[in-house]
Amino acid sequence: MKQKENLMKVIVPVLSILVAFIIGGIIIICLGKNPFQAYGFLFSGAFGSSRKIAQTLVIACPLIFTGLTAAFSYKCGVFNLGGEGQFVMGAVASIFFVTKSGIGGIAGILLSLLVGAAAGAVWGAIPGILKITRGLNEMIVSIMLNYVATLFMGYVYTTLLRDGSVPQTFAIPDSTKLSVISKSFPVHWGVWIALFLAFAGYYFLYYTSKGFKLRAVGLNSTAAFFNGFPVNRYVLFSFIASGAVAGLGGSVELHGKQLRLMGGFGQGFGFDGVAIALIAQLNPIGTAAVAFIFAVLRKGASTLQTGMQIPTAVVDIIQALVIIFAVAGTALLKLPAIRQYINSHMGKKEVTN
Amino acid sequence: MDAFFNINFLTELLLSTIRMATPILFVALAETYSERAGLVNIGLDGIMSFGALIGFLIGYKTGSPTVGILAGALSGIAINMVYAFCTIHLCAPQIVYGMAINIFAPALASFIYRLSFSDTSTLIQGVSMKALPIPVLSSIPVLGPLFFNHIPLVYFAYLLVPATAVFFNRTKAGLNFKAVGEFPKAAETLGINVIFQKYLACIICGALAGVGGAYLTICYTSTYSEGIVAGRGFIALSAVIFGRWMPSGVLLACLLFGFCDALQIRLQLLSPSTPYQLLQMIPYLCTLFVLAFFGIRKSGPKANGQPYYREER
Repeated sequence: MKQKENLMKVIVPVLSILVAFIIGGIIIICLGKNPFQAYGFLFSGAFGSSRKIAQTLVIACPLIFTGLTAAFSYKCGVFNLGGEGQFVMGAVASIFFVTKSGIGGIAGILLSLLVGAAAGAVWGAIPGILKITRGLNEMIVSIMLNYVATLFMGYVYTTLLRDGSVPQTFAIPDSTKLSVISKSFPVHWGVWIALFLAFAGYYFLYYTSKGFKLRAVGLNSTAAFFNGFPVNRYVLFSFIASGAVAGLGGSVELHGKQLRLMGGFGQGFGFDGVAIALIAQLNPIGTAAVAFIFAVLRKGASTLQTGMQIPTAVVDIIQALVIIFAVAGTALLKLPAIRQYINSHMGKKEVTN
Repeated sequence: MDAFFNINFLTELLLSTIRMATPILFVALAETYSERAGLVNIGLDGIMSFGALIGFLIGYKTGSPTVGILAGALSGIAINMVYAFCTIHLCAPQIVYGMAINIFAPALASFIYRLSFSDTSTLIQGVSMKALPIPVLSSIPVLGPLFFNHIPLVYFAYLLVPATAVFFNRTKAGLNFKAVGEFPKAAETLGINVIFQKYLACIICGALAGVGGAYLTICYTSTYSEGIVAGRGFIALSAVIFGRWMPSGVLLACLLFGFCDALQIRLQLLSPSTPYQLLQMIPYLCTLFVLAFFGIRKSGPKANGQPYYREER
């Protein structure tokens, strides 16, 4: 029974991705292009050489962070939609730290990443505190904070830390760049931090008692409360932890890829993270995998545009279809009638075996 | 500060409050209908952006703003049917599916926009709705231009508030509708078709949210750009909570948020030296503060957000 359910948890996302790709192919045919050639372009753009694979991994990096943010909070039953705001605030705090403190080198990077994570945690704690003390809907609060954070970042790069006439901040000092591992495979250290977090998150949620309690709060907070679990403390903890992950992600993106803040920094990463976590059924390792697939799509989209004049928005559609199917598929399996069918089917197999 | 107390400034401010509150009002009423039938739809932002695009596009192609608005309503219904099918029949979690709509609908909108106008660098000027002054009443000084010189859609939005209140509190159909959101099992035993009522709620919700989106592109800017909705769907969600799920309360909440939006724009014109980003934060911060001080723990429909399994006992 348990195995069957776990199998379904893998089958649903994989099928959703396949169906979305097929529909994407149909759209490409409707545009008068060859879908096989298009998908060839898409995958060669993402996997064509070791350099391209590295670029895809670098694109996946922030998506892994925001995906983990979403997964981690939903596991505790709270919907932190503020990944984007926390991501942005992490990056803003980091750029303030590196330009104002003047600490360079490894110490500078580590401190800056810490500052970024702390800023994300603070930004993530606000909806948590308001939810616990005032019973506010955390989704609305975190969305509003996204807009505030993005506008604040705009204030920073147009006014506070503006670099000359261009509306962008100063670049971070060279000594605080996250270094790449090798010239032929230019992946910065942030990618490894992201992957480490995915595995650490998985270990925490499924192999520690605190992780079990957190999931219990998410599955049924009333039952968890009557079992003596400090529900509010777990809720607040999940907000702070998920905010810290997003803030760290913003900081890593600043130090590893963008190197300065400008318009559009972090745009859409929050909702993409939500989509990724939902497709991955909130499994942290799955989140990293789905984030990689999203990165393949993003990386390939530009090749598709230049190589075949197919608008990049086709890729957005494919991404959006994946989430529509994945969520509907998961819900379908939970319907009483379908459950019964699967169970009875299972029972027969066991008898024949 | 002289300019602030100028009578012209104040009328302009109130006028633009009424205009800015209209799209939020449409969408907040949409959500009121949806939540009264027990369906929390956080995909309003997505529905709005789709309605905004289709309304703009059809208005541009036909040259008629009315047709554009109608197309916006229909497209809102179409998108919301995806949500309706998945949450009512498949019993998918409503929050998750609303989020899925929020991701899906804007992607579809920008795809259609890029297909329709391959050159995205120039802003395409669409149609815009003409104001319809109400005879006699619009010639009253101060009050006339303030309340009786608007486009028809504004009157429609504000008339919808008493209409909704009457529907919910004074008609049998409205009480049946509300029963579905309070206790669907009891409603079903009384012979109310719960599934039908929920679909009805989704149709009304989609249509109104679509119109709210189309208002932005046809009546407010007459151009389309990505991100034009700018979180208004979520502000509308908080207006429903703040307004305690009652049409009159929702109207007050929308006027407050509309006022913040209008104030922010006026202040930008008034003091160009203040960084505009700080002023643009006002509506969002106001929403947060209002919710923090007046939002209440639990007062919505009892079965709000819960899936309804018909066969389950």
